[in-house]
Amino acid sequence: MRKVAVLKSQNSTQNVQLLNPVNLSLECSLTADHNNLPNISAFWSQDGREIPDSRLTVALENQQYHLQRLFYISGEEMLGSYSCVFENGVRADFILATPPFGEVRDKPVVSYVRDFVVLPCKMEEAKPKPLSWRWFRGNKTHKEQISEQPERFQIHSEERKSKLKVINLTHEDAGVYYCGAVYAIGTTMNPIELKVITYQEPLKPFIGILIEVVLLVAVIFLCEKRRSKKNTSKGNEENVDQNNIKLQEEEKGAEEGSSMRQRKV
Amino acid sequence: MFFLFSRIMSPAPTDATEYKPPDGGWGWVVVVGAHISIGFAYSTPKALSIFFKDIQEDLGASYSEIAWISSIMLAVMYAGGPVSSVLVKRFGSRPIVIVGGLMCGVSMVTASFGRSIVYLYLSIGIIGGCGLCFNLNASLTIISKYFLTKRPLANGLAMAGSPVFLCFLAPLNQFLLGDFGWRGSLLILGGMMLNCCVAGALMRPVTLPCNPAVQKNTEKTSKHNVSKKGRCRSNARKFLDLSFFKDRGFIIYLIGNTMFIFGAYAPIVFLSAYAVSQGVEEYSAAYLLSIMGFVDMFVRPGTGLIANSKWIRPRIQYFFGFAMVFNGACHLLCPMMKSYAFLVGYAVFFGIGFGMVFALIFECLMDLMGNQRFPSAVGLVTIIECFPMLLGPPTAGLLVDIFQDYKYLFFMCGAVIMSGGLFLIIMNIYHYHMLEKEKAEHNGAPSQNVENQDGVSLSEAQRESTTQTNGDPQDPSPDDSEPDVTDHF
Repeated sequence: MRKVAVLKSQNSTQNVQLLNPVNLSLECSLTADHNNLPNISAFWSQDGREIPDSRLTVALENQQYHLQRLFYISGEEMLGSYSCVFENGVRADFILATPPFGEVRDKPVVSYVRDFVVLPCKMEEAKPKPLSWRWFRGNKTHKEQISEQPERFQIHSEERKSKLKVINLTHEDAGVYYCGAVYAIGTTMNPIELKVITYQEPLKPFIGILIEVVLLVAVIFLCEKRRSKKNTSKGNEENVDQNNIKLQEEEKGAEEGSSMRQRKV
Repeated sequence: MFFLFSRIMSPAPTDATEYKPPDGGWGWVVVVGAHISIGFAYSTPKALSIFFKDIQEDLGASYSEIAWISSIMLAVMYAGGPVSSVLVKRFGSRPIVIVGGLMCGVSMVTASFGRSIVYLYLSIGIIGGCGLCFNLNASLTIISKYFLTKRPLANGLAMAGSPVFLCFLAPLNQFLLGDFGWRGSLLILGGMMLNCCVAGALMRPVTLPCNPAVQKNTEKTSKHNVSKKGRCRSNARKFLDLSFFKDRGFIIYLIGNTMFIFGAYAPIVFLSAYAVSQGVEEYSAAYLLSIMGFVDMFVRPGTGLIANSKWIRPRIQYFFGFAMVFNGACHLLCPMMKSYAFLVGYAVFFGIGFGMVFALIFECLMDLMGNQRFPSAVGLVTIIECFPMLLGPPTAGLLVDIFQDYKYLFFMCGAVIMSGGLFLIIMNIYHYHMLEKEKAEHNGAPSQNVENQDGVSLSEAQRESTTQTNGDPQDPSPDDSEPDVTDHF
């Protein structure tokens, strides 16, 4: 495999996806600037540290300084960031990694004590198929693999998908879980956070809303009862007169030009 | 063409024994209640889709199995229309909305304990759908009882509940999902839906005036209603009142509406996918629907206000047809929108068209049917609309699958909606022409001094003339006297 970076005056970064152990040739071509020095020194670095015995003097050829090195990437520990650095400070970075996951879930999965939860993991169609799937839990530095235990963890994996079912949750099960897509050269990790809460947590806002609803309904009905009591006690005498007046008005057919509609009986 | 629209429809009262709608005062509080009730009814099925991915993972179901939850909920909400109509006529709006709110709350709370997909179908789909159905039907009915002159505005404000609540529920559901998971979120959502009971409590029944004419009628008709058998028979008759199908205006409305509903929802379902296929990134594509909803929020009351004006109110059926044509034209132009800026423009115009139609959709039915027949009519309309609503998006999806191109979906929806609108306009011209002819034939009958004050519609004038000459055949059964009694609940 061969990867080339063409540089002028700015740094460049390239992502290289690797699946299997491979002989990788990395090349950097720096276009000469107005100085046109005949020779320029450069070196290779891995993860920020200079690779010993890699410093070379590069000659100017066709207006370019051409630097090349062959790397044998055998395993996961060889993955990382490789850079060619020129004397004038210009550099090209090659980031070697296994295929990354497309969608990373930013929100935690929430589930309840004594309930179960399914943590899903998917490698999209566009990316290469992993050889197998593994699940881990822990933090960034120390991860422990989860093995299948019938009462606690169930792993169900297909070609591009894997699901971890955690049964009978407790508070200790909360934390970050990593689903690993295993390739020949290494494993890509996808973190999923699991939050475990008790049933009382959503119950509190629910009871709050319930109380609010009952209060409002009670207030509305009470106000209405009071109004109707006031009306019946006050208006009993006026009612009879009002009805007579209403009938007279309807017979006459008054109310011209009002916004209320007229009824002709 | 303008000459055809310049016919002023003579106004007239709907029924001779009717009360005067308050048209204000407590009516505006009732509009708030209806706003909440209708808001939950339309936005809940859509807002629930935010939980689907998590539910899918936990219960191990496929995407189509999960999507059925929303479909069942919508189907039951529409299909339960006739049942809801009968209950509203019997008990009035207030108890029905309170019961509806309780059912919705119970459905969400029980759903939060669900272990299988079928359990969710039953709790969210059927019980929740029933609750929403009661809410919708009863809210519309009480608006028709409280308003007449300002009814289009009241309808516009109440129907605006749908986009407002969707705008509010969607981010809330996201937030709840992150904090409580889908089970806790459903529990809290159930609590929130109990607020429909508060909305129901606000829907004070309209108190009828003590009119001796009305009392005479009730005395006469109650004598017919002695035997239980007779009551049951008349109830059954009203359950599916097929006499509506003899009403020309109703048939025209029904056909136009069915065509609209068939094409209305598919563009919403597929808009994000279409935008993504045109190269827009997923987050911006989802934003298009929010734009549409935001515009919808303001267009509905605005349309209500315009429809209430002196010039439009007599011609409201034409305005409705125009709104549909506008909506259809938007969809037909959509495939030409390739860039994001144009798609935003399309979303805005889509929002305008959609809002205009939905603000008027029930107002026009109230206008055609009048106060007494509206509850049964709306039940019948919703159960018939169930079919195009369920068939529309899958048919559109099928088109996309066959042709592998979204433009045919938009062409189909746009064409169907536009034809529906044109059908309404043309057939209404014919319908009113026929009504005027029939009215001219009746001109020898006792003088009807109808004044052109509020300019309602000719269909209402026709109702009044038939009630006066034929002795009230529109009054379907003695059971109509019952609302007079039970409205004092």
